[in-house]
Amino acid sequence: MRKLFVFLLMISIVSISPAIVFAQSKTEVLVKNATVMTAAKGTLENTDILIQNGKITKIGKNLKAAANAQIFDASGKFVTPGIVDAHSHTMLDAINEGSFSVTSMTNVRDVLNPHDIAIYRALAGGVTSANLLHGSANSIGGQNSTVKFKYGKPVEDFVIADAPPGIKFAMGENVKRSNFQIQGQTPRYPRTRMGVVETMRDAFLRAKDYKQAWDDYKAKKTKVPPRKDLELEPLVEILEGKRLVHAHGYRSDEHLNLLLLADEFGFKVATLQHGLEAYKIAPEIAKRGTGVSIFADYWGYKLEAYDAIPYNAAILWKNGVLVSINSDSDERMRRLNIDAAKVMKYGNVPEEEALKMITFNPAKQLGIDKRTGSIEVGKDADLVIWSEHPFSPYARVETTMIEGEVYFDRNKDIAKRAELEKERTELEKLDANKAPGSGGTPPKVPGEKRIADRDDADQTDGGNR
Amino acid sequence: MKSKFILFALVAIGSLFVGSAFAQSYAVTNARIVTVSGENIEKGSIVIRDGLIEAVGANAKVPADARIFDGSGLTVYPGLIDSLTSVGISAPAPRSQAGGPQPQAPPAATSNSNYAEGLRPEDMTINDLKAGEAQFEAIRNAGFTTVLTVGRNGIFNGQSAVINLAGDSVSAMVVKSPFAQHITFTTLRGFGYPNSLLGTFSALRQMMLDAQRLQDLQKMYDANPKGMKRPDDDKSLEALFPVLNGSMPVVLNANSENEIVRALDLAKEFKLKAIIAGGQEAWKVADRLKAQNVPVLLSLNFPKRTASASPEADPESLETLRLRAETPKTAAKLANAGVNFAFQTGGGTTSDFFANASKSVENGLAKDAAIRAMTLNAAQILGLSDRLGTIETGKIANLTVVRGDILGKEKTITHVFVDGKLFEQKEPPKKPATPSGGTPTAQPAVANVGGNYTISIDIPGQSLTGTMALTQQGAVLTGTLQTQLGTSPIKDGKVTAEGFSYSSTVEYGGTTFDIFVKGTVTGNQISGTIDSPQGTIPFSGTKNP
Repeated sequence: MRKLFVFLLMISIVSISPAIVFAQSKTEVLVKNATVMTAAKGTLENTDILIQNGKITKIGKNLKAAANAQIFDASGKFVTPGIVDAHSHTMLDAINEGSFSVTSMTNVRDVLNPHDIAIYRALAGGVTSANLLHGSANSIGGQNSTVKFKYGKPVEDFVIADAPPGIKFAMGENVKRSNFQIQGQTPRYPRTRMGVVETMRDAFLRAKDYKQAWDDYKAKKTKVPPRKDLELEPLVEILEGKRLVHAHGYRSDEHLNLLLLADEFGFKVATLQHGLEAYKIAPEIAKRGTGVSIFADYWGYKLEAYDAIPYNAAILWKNGVLVSINSDSDERMRRLNIDAAKVMKYGNVPEEEALKMITFNPAKQLGIDKRTGSIEVGKDADLVIWSEHPFSPYARVETTMIEGEVYFDRNKDIAKRAELEKERTELEKLDANKAPGSGGTPPKVPGEKRIADRDDADQTDGGNR
Repeated sequence: MKSKFILFALVAIGSLFVGSAFAQSYAVTNARIVTVSGENIEKGSIVIRDGLIEAVGANAKVPADARIFDGSGLTVYPGLIDSLTSVGISAPAPRSQAGGPQPQAPPAATSNSNYAEGLRPEDMTINDLKAGEAQFEAIRNAGFTTVLTVGRNGIFNGQSAVINLAGDSVSAMVVKSPFAQHITFTTLRGFGYPNSLLGTFSALRQMMLDAQRLQDLQKMYDANPKGMKRPDDDKSLEALFPVLNGSMPVVLNANSENEIVRALDLAKEFKLKAIIAGGQEAWKVADRLKAQNVPVLLSLNFPKRTASASPEADPESLETLRLRAETPKTAAKLANAGVNFAFQTGGGTTSDFFANASKSVENGLAKDAAIRAMTLNAAQILGLSDRLGTIETGKIANLTVVRGDILGKEKTITHVFVDGKLFEQKEPPKKPATPSGGTPTAQPAVANVGGNYTISIDIPGQSLTGTMALTQQGAVLTGTLQTQLGTSPIKDGKVTAEGFSYSSTVEYGGTTFDIFVKGTVTGNQISGTIDSPQGTIPFSGTKNP
């Protein structure tokens, strides 16, 4: 029954198009009389939020706004910061460059698709920002993009210009290709966990030599400028502390290996991604100021994902690790609020800390916490209005706004559906849209639905997670 | 009937004789002339001599030695230009099987490039061009005198050529070579780098940077070689020098809004003199195209639904439905936004070209703008407006002579002049005549071709296997061709005494191509060819037991 409901919901959302983005000019916006969960300074009852030029300028009671301000009466409703997903592959027209095990020259910015319908669905789940990562096929994958989901805007408006650049690293089964064989391809080095670390070390040694060559040239010790190497430039930025490393992995021994490698080369790993066994080495992680971005309770989909416990978040938090809960999935991204609620159940993490794990903490991990992640004066007005407490399974997103502009409005969405159906009927009458009278190609019939928990479904994702 | 045929033959032989021996001069008189450069001339003459337009006008003087055509009832246009094709390029010899790293260089395309096949900007279309009537007759009969042609393999498709569609040698046909470097946002075959769109962009970017550096180093070295390591003599990178210096345009194949935006970003990054080819959704980024002064070679291969109806199928997405509705409006929207564009067949048929040009007019494009998009605009974008694209004195004598409206349904291309050479059209038969002149006789004996065949198709670069299921009922053939690209049902299937033929459509890379298949069956062996807009591909196979 639930499946059927989800299916119907998906179908109804499928038909929404980029044409309906409820954007408006950046005048004043006033959210009135809400229960405001700030994710920084507690929960405020019967509180107003004033937004001017896309920024939160006042939080308090009985705030006044300009006569032409857009007013949202949120009486009896909850407002949270927009959700930040620290691990997503939404919007990507390509996820893995699987040829080499070091592909730091690639950048997901080149393949962003701002029309991906998953963006709109994420907005309908309250997500406003995301870390768009290269896949986990390579020891060192491609460069990331940190974006806000400004659906309907040109792609350049999505990218958060002042977010620090990042890059994907990966260790374990996906990198050494334990669980799949690519037909016809010669097996690729590395094939073992020790090979993965060696591949990373080799890359950093090359990056150091590269930096030296440029330093020598700049110091006029050499005459000929070195080649600008797109593979090594981002690695130099890591060594200089200018680029965040987001490292996919599962096993604690492997995480430790990476942390030690980072110690050796003198950089900090920004986040361990997935980190199902991170609870085993919580103090070692905390000591280095590395964050961990996990699934709430998702496990067992491959051998290295067996030693997971749902108390992972609670243990890490108690040890002072900056924890976030991510989706790594277009589907799970729509209900990260429920994943956050789970960490209250497992290990009694306080409500605000649980909320932070999908808002402020991931924002910190991505270096965008000065802009977003909490409801505080001076921050971007990335806000979600919920019909109920966001940790209730009955909660629905009513409005999602980014920088004071509405990108999802449930009532307008529902109102628009009839219009879209009418448009469809009209479009289907066109000759170009009619099925050929005879001899057409066979139509696509629905394939098997992707089921998140099934191993074989991973293959179609290019072996991510 | 018979006598008319003989008359035709005589005219044809006569013109050939005149053409080859003396015919330096022709005159078309009493014709309506669409000069494109200026006002239409409702009744005038055009004089052609030595391959050039000698005179044009209402009162142009017809020289005594000219062979005169009475153009009453005919309209003369500048020779039509198809601004992007792969015409005249023979399919390269089959390369090694897809998969695995690149083995030794294949015999047909030996190269000492440092780069994998598909990343070799030095490839020249002119080297693959073949002269000869078989290559050009069909497209010329449709009214085209000039095409831009380039192969479509790899990320760098290589350097294109503008050719006139007549000539005994490639050298005589070429109007401009190289014209531009062509880029497709695709991946390389096999598992080498780049095998994803991510890698495509980083590989392109790195090659551009390496080329910039090599150019700098070569300059340094030329100025003073002492104490400096000799820079590489890398012909792949060197082929990018004119691209980076802005002296050679870059044609970027891009249809969707995303692709066009990526192309424009790349053009901006490396200050490329960019041209977008395809441009299906170009109207969505018309402002950027205008701002960056990027013209579009707009495909007239409009998307249409090819899938048959099925109660099981999901409804098509609104996006798809909208795309098909919006594409015919693209040309008008580009014109309104001030974006320069020319039409191309886009892998479709020449009849689609005209049908969809006229659809563009129905959707708001001015008719003269549509004509310009197949004449002067194309010539301008190809950098040849000083010699092609209008009917003016001194320009190349490329002319397309039409009875009826060129954008109408009832039209006949009666004559085509290419470089002043006359090609007379056979009038199309009014009705498909039966072989015996009307009286149906006994069915001729036909070959026996029915059955299921496992075939391999030698697509350049890879061998595609498939199953051809042929169901024969007398001279009528039905069935399907099934490959990795999908299942294509047989349309207009015929069986003759010699073999079989049919037409079909395949979808590849989001575009629908019309193909024409003909073949023969001997014992349990099947063989034949598949004609597609990309060239002719052989196939062969055996009958399944």
